[in-house]
Amino acid sequence: MAKLEIENPIVQVNNLKFYYPGNARALHGIDIAFPEKQVTALIGPSGCGKSTLLRCFNRMNDLIDGCRVEGDVIIDGENIYNRNTDIIELRRKVGMVFQKSNPFPKSIYENVIYGLRIAGEKDRSLLDERVETSLKGAALWDEVKERLHESALGLSGGQMQRLCIARAIAVNPKVILMDEPCSALDPKSTARVEDLIGELREDFTIIIVTHNMQQAARVSDNTAFLFEGNLIEYGLTDQLFVKPRNKQTEDYITGRFG
Amino acid sequence: MNPAFLKKVKRNDRLARWVITIGGMAIIFSVIFILILIARVSLPLFLSPEKALRADFQLEQAQAQQVATLGVDEYLETGYLVDRTGRFDFFTVADGSPLDSVAPAGEDTQRRLLTVDSYGRLNHALIWDDGSISIVQVKFFPFFDAQNNNQRSIRHRVEVLGEFPAPESGMPVRSLARSDGEERQVRVDLFADGHLQATLQQREESFLGDVEVTEETHTLSRKSAGAVTALTMSHNGNQLYIATDAGEIERWDLSDSEDPVLLEVVHAFADQRKITALDLVFGDVSLIVGDARGELTTWFPVRDEEGVWKLTRIHQLPGHNAAIDYVSPTLHDKSVLSRADGRVQISHMTSERLLLTIDPPGEKIATYALSTRGNGLITLSESGRVDSWELDIPHPEISAKTLFGKVWYEGYAEPSWSWQSSSGTDDYEPKLSLTPLIFGTLKGTFYAMLFALPLAIFGAIYTSQFARPRFKGIIKPAVEVMAAIPTVIIGFLAALWLAPLIERSLGSLFLSMILVPAALMISIALWQAARKIDPLKRVERGFEFLAVAPVLVMAVAIASVLGSGVESWLFAGDLKQWLFTETGNRYDQRNCIIIAFAMGFAVIPIIFTIAEDSLSNVPPSLRAASLALGASRWQTVWRVILPSASPGIFAGTMIGFGRAVGETMIVLMATGNTAIMDLSIFNGMRPLSANIAVEIPEAPVDGSLYRTLFLSAVILFVMTFVVNTIAEVVRQRLRAKYGRF
Ligand SMILES: Nc1ncnc2c1ncn2[C@@H]1O[C@H](COP(=O)(O)OP(=O)(O)OP(=O)(O)O)[C@@H](O)[C@H]1O
Ligand SMILES: [Mg+2]
Repeated sequence: MAKLEIENPIVQVNNLKFYYPGNARALHGIDIAFPEKQVTALIGPSGCGKSTLLRCFNRMNDLIDGCRVEGDVIIDGENIYNRNTDIIELRRKVGMVFQKSNPFPKSIYENVIYGLRIAGEKDRSLLDERVETSLKGAALWDEVKERLHESALGLSGGQMQRLCIARAIAVNPKVILMDEPCSALDPKSTARVEDLIGELREDFTIIIVTHNMQQAARVSDNTAFLFEGNLIEYGLTDQLFVKPRNKQTEDYITGRFG
Repeated sequence: MNPAFLKKVKRNDRLARWVITIGGMAIIFSVIFILILIARVSLPLFLSPEKALRADFQLEQAQAQQVATLGVDEYLETGYLVDRTGRFDFFTVADGSPLDSVAPAGEDTQRRLLTVDSYGRLNHALIWDDGSISIVQVKFFPFFDAQNNNQRSIRHRVEVLGEFPAPESGMPVRSLARSDGEERQVRVDLFADGHLQATLQQREESFLGDVEVTEETHTLSRKSAGAVTALTMSHNGNQLYIATDAGEIERWDLSDSEDPVLLEVVHAFADQRKITALDLVFGDVSLIVGDARGELTTWFPVRDEEGVWKLTRIHQLPGHNAAIDYVSPTLHDKSVLSRADGRVQISHMTSERLLLTIDPPGEKIATYALSTRGNGLITLSESGRVDSWELDIPHPEISAKTLFGKVWYEGYAEPSWSWQSSSGTDDYEPKLSLTPLIFGTLKGTFYAMLFALPLAIFGAIYTSQFARPRFKGIIKPAVEVMAAIPTVIIGFLAALWLAPLIERSLGSLFLSMILVPAALMISIALWQAARKIDPLKRVERGFEFLAVAPVLVMAVAIASVLGSGVESWLFAGDLKQWLFTETGNRYDQRNCIIIAFAMGFAVIPIIFTIAEDSLSNVPPSLRAASLALGASRWQTVWRVILPSASPGIFAGTMIGFGRAVGETMIVLMATGNTAIMDLSIFNGMRPLSANIAVEIPEAPVDGSLYRTLFLSAVILFVMTFVVNTIAEVVRQRLRAKYGRF
């Protein structure tokens, strides 16, 4: 298996096995590491375990009754499957943007500061400032600055997704997980989100799942190809797309299956 | 698509739309129809009384001047005039054609009648100019002629109830007399010098049949300063009221033949106006006072702080523009007739409503008589015209004030909101205030919701958000089965099992209200500490309630063991007694604690199910978003799930509320059904619904009570309608705010 040598990875995964309830193994021992402040794309055919892997990084899989994890996920030097891990702390460090945008039925303002509110932040000026920086960071500020206190449900699909990104970056995470963030968006919105990802890489480590090869090629620095719960190939995006070393990878990216 | 198929799809679509529209309309119409049906029954409560002139005829001037009084039967068929010689001339009301004529007190051409003092059911005290008095009674009775097709005719008879000879001390200027028709008769005379004398006759029949009459004569020494202007006595001659031209009223007790007692002298009016007319309202409790200013008031004795009975002004009835010269009661309810300046008014004491004015144009009424059922009035004008009126006063005691306001009822110490629809006697003053019933409905609902709402909503939150799906699969159907239990069974258990149990272990109940939360707190704290220990971490989340159950059971057990001990230690052994003496709260066995439990039990499933559904229907993506931002489960519930589910929770609450408002069987069985206005949880109440169930079987159809019950049904209907409408509006608002699903 091809491996990418990474110094000081922010996320280090060692022999990760994941079982859905009923001992259905979805990940068969993944070893992968993600470099800091880069964009890594996870690609692979449907059902190969991309989302499962992604959810292992912020322990969202814990919501599933009767699932089981083996192996280590070390984020920022800590094994997050340690018994002493504070899940709340972890999730503040590892933000997530979902496939379908899911703003809360609250105002735009309240959506952005939700993560701060639940952390007990009450300082009005700090909240105001964070709303502005986050929305600017998510390239949404100009569109919504007049209507911060209107319901977020009145935004367009693309705006909602960018709001979800703003909401994720408002708590200043180290890593942002994105599970097919553009799959429900039109090309124009997709382009905006892709531009945004390019800007966010300055400050955050981004792990993005995508089905869109062009997108992976456009936005990511590194790409990992998963197949049936195994990591098949992992390398610099430029190399992987131009000169895949693995037959399966080549078949997949040239569109012969998946 | 195949065009034929497309056509079929469209046709089915149209059909479905029609069916749904018609169905919806049918429901709306039937609801409105029911409301109209109920409202129609109650509507006549608010119709104005009516009068109709049935017949009139003219007497000759000479004859008219001879009339001392008159009367009419309750069928308004036969009337009579009493002339100055004491002769009763009967006539047909329809055309005035004369019937027979009798002189019950004998044919004495010398004696003339001074006046006739009429009281009760066609009783007349004939007061003669020689000072003697004859008390006679006219009796009408229907007769069905077997020979003649069972045709009904009204026959009559005049009976002499008693006789008084002239007083030995001289000629009185004014007299009145009463006879109970059997044992006792009383006459009271006023003499020219202003003093009064009472003659009390007691007739006793020994077992051998000998009749012995004892007669006592007493001089009543007045304490009032003014000249006597009006007198009246109760039917049995036990109470005597004397009024003066200086606005004083003397109240005498003549029940002891040997010792008449002056109970009090009341200065009735600050301006010392002349009292011009007195009589007693049907039932002999309230005194009607008419005065020279045309005001009409009623009075009865009320016990003051020192325990002394004081004649107190209670009602102010619509008055006249001139001095009232005559007042009289009706003989079947608490209405009052009054005459001033030749016109007669009928008003009702309790409702203080002016019911009718009898005011024939161009005529002045000299004398009138009401039929015993109050449905007919015969009047003799100064010009000699005799009019007979048919009266239709269906619900004189009903007014907005008697239905909703505070009313000072006869025999009560103060005005009150009261529901006491009937009692054994005819002369009862019905108390038909809906306020205590509405209060009872709201009180029962309040306590039931106080108990049910937190349980149902927290239960729904737990099952939908925290419990394992497996347990949810058991709990939810189990709670739903609770909803299927007939409320009569819940009421039955509450009344016969729960009420005595709680009464016995009241101390334990309160103790467990402290112990259970305390035990929960302690065990949660312990649990938090214990979770740090490794093996316990394996105990998975979602099983917390397994750990809580024994804690709860233990807390309740400890409370029940310690209950009586605590009761004797803190509350001198009897919490109920302590409540009464220390806080003034009477403890009824069937109280709002029972109602809270029982009715709560009935509404919990509804609220729980609806709330649980709406909580479960909050999109999982919102929950995921919140958790992914580092929110705890509780924060997620509080900040995201609850607001999103709020329309549903609110709807469930309101449906539960509506159910509690309309709930009948449980309250009927598990409360004392006393219509009190007291918020205390330790006594019961009487809600609208149970009241209808209790009273409707005994309410005479189309009577005031019957219609008032229908009115209360309308109110109940409106209450639930308002609650549901508010619920729907608020729900839509919440949905617009939080929902997109
Ligand atoms: N909650 C679950 N319970 C049981 N099995 C699951 C669950 N979620 C996913 N799986 C299974 O795990 C495997 C991996 O699923 P995963 O969602 O990670 O795929 P994916 O790569 O994200 O696919 P896609 O591109 O379609 O989103 C699949 O075979 C799927 O059927
Ligand atoms: Mg996926």
